[in-house]
Amino acid sequence: MRYGGDNRGRLLIIILVVTSLLLITLDLRGVRVIDGLRTGTQTALTPVQRLGSWAVSPFRNFLSDVTHLGRTRNEIEKLKDDNDQLRLALQNREVADIQLKQLKKVLDLAGNGGYKVVAAKVISQGSSTSFTQTITIDAGTTSGVFTNMTVLSGYGLVGVVKYAYANSALVQLASDPAFKIGARIARSEQIAILSGQGTRKGLLQLLDNSSEIKKGDVLLARGSQKGRPFVPGVPIGEVISVSNSPGALTETAEVKFYTNFSTLGVVAVVVSEPRSDPRDALVPSKPQPTPIPTVTIYATPGADTPSPAATN
Amino acid sequence: MRLPAGSFNLILIFALIWSALSTPEIGALTGFGAGIMMDLSQTSPGPMGHWTLVMIFACYVVAFLGYGDDNVRGNPINIILLTVVGVASAQSVFLLLGFLLGQAIGSFQQALLVIAGTAFWTLIISPLILKAVSFIHSAVFGMHSRI
Repeated sequence: MRYGGDNRGRLLIIILVVTSLLLITLDLRGVRVIDGLRTGTQTALTPVQRLGSWAVSPFRNFLSDVTHLGRTRNEIEKLKDDNDQLRLALQNREVADIQLKQLKKVLDLAGNGGYKVVAAKVISQGSSTSFTQTITIDAGTTSGVFTNMTVLSGYGLVGVVKYAYANSALVQLASDPAFKIGARIARSEQIAILSGQGTRKGLLQLLDNSSEIKKGDVLLARGSQKGRPFVPGVPIGEVISVSNSPGALTETAEVKFYTNFSTLGVVAVVVSEPRSDPRDALVPSKPQPTPIPTVTIYATPGADTPSPAATN
Repeated sequence: MRLPAGSFNLILIFALIWSALSTPEIGALTGFGAGIMMDLSQTSPGPMGHWTLVMIFACYVVAFLGYGDDNVRGNPINIILLTVVGVASAQSVFLLLGFLLGQAIGSFQQALLVIAGTAFWTLIISPLILKAVSFIHSAVFGMHSRI
């Protein structure tokens, strides 16, 4: 730390700082050149992004396997019985199968809601270094995807298209801290605002102090005018805890999003609003418990054989 | 790429290591260039110039701390530690500046987790690229800067 600096050095730093402050001011005032620069860069970098996504996919799959070790253990044990060739073929097909399953699920959801959608593959996940939650998809304006369109997965809301380019689009995830959506509690008319928190859990704030929420309530998107940015009826998540602060004006609750944002492979962008609001049609059904058969044996003294009676 | 408990940013790491090997003026210029590149990314939530301002200061300070002190510049461990602290500080200042500009920053705990996660991954990645950065730096500025 023996550096004392000189006038030229100080001048250079002042020029650089003033330039960056000028850029911030221009951008905050909405100068179009700055937007154009970003859009141009993204359009130019989309092919590189695809290549990068392909190149790091083995590393990403490895990390995914490590983090989901418990879940994949049974599958691995089952595969041990197969021969090497079959195992290799299964591994190669695994990614395609997951994507197909996700695509089928998302098309089912869109069909039930009457949404016209464009399916897209997730080509990269945005870095969280800047405290944002985004993904890039491989469909853009040439496929009819524009800004402020709702993005779905097979489970429900994923987010909203923030920027659309020729062949790709940047999607702001519902978990992004800057994300806000008007929500309705299913089977009621209670409305609330849901905000992202940077994780899979969001914060719900009711607008009416006479309304009540309880654990297990399902949230659906309220929808916006002309279906942008949000189409109505999209399942968002489920209330997992309610906080009743005595001093608070309205109730707040913690909501778990249906969509797991870290495993997104295929999504769908809603390109036109439904003809009618699907209301509660897309509320996911609760898992039904499997009936366990119980066998009761009646033993009668003096009889030759006991008589079994099966009940559910 | 998103990793468990955060991620790493190669531009940020590269710029800070490069600055640690350079003079403060070169450090500030490096920060300016790296900041512009990070601002051009669509995932950057702030206005254009947000990362640039942060990176000018971060790289200048890292270069200032390392310049003329062979105990810092001659020791790879010190450079890595300087880079890790630089990354965490840059992110903290970015967050604070974003907050002052009215951006949503999410929960405090999540922000802390992201900063800690990024510092961890930077600690893992920095040693892997330090040699390469040092080699390029010495090729550009001469052998005396080689670690």
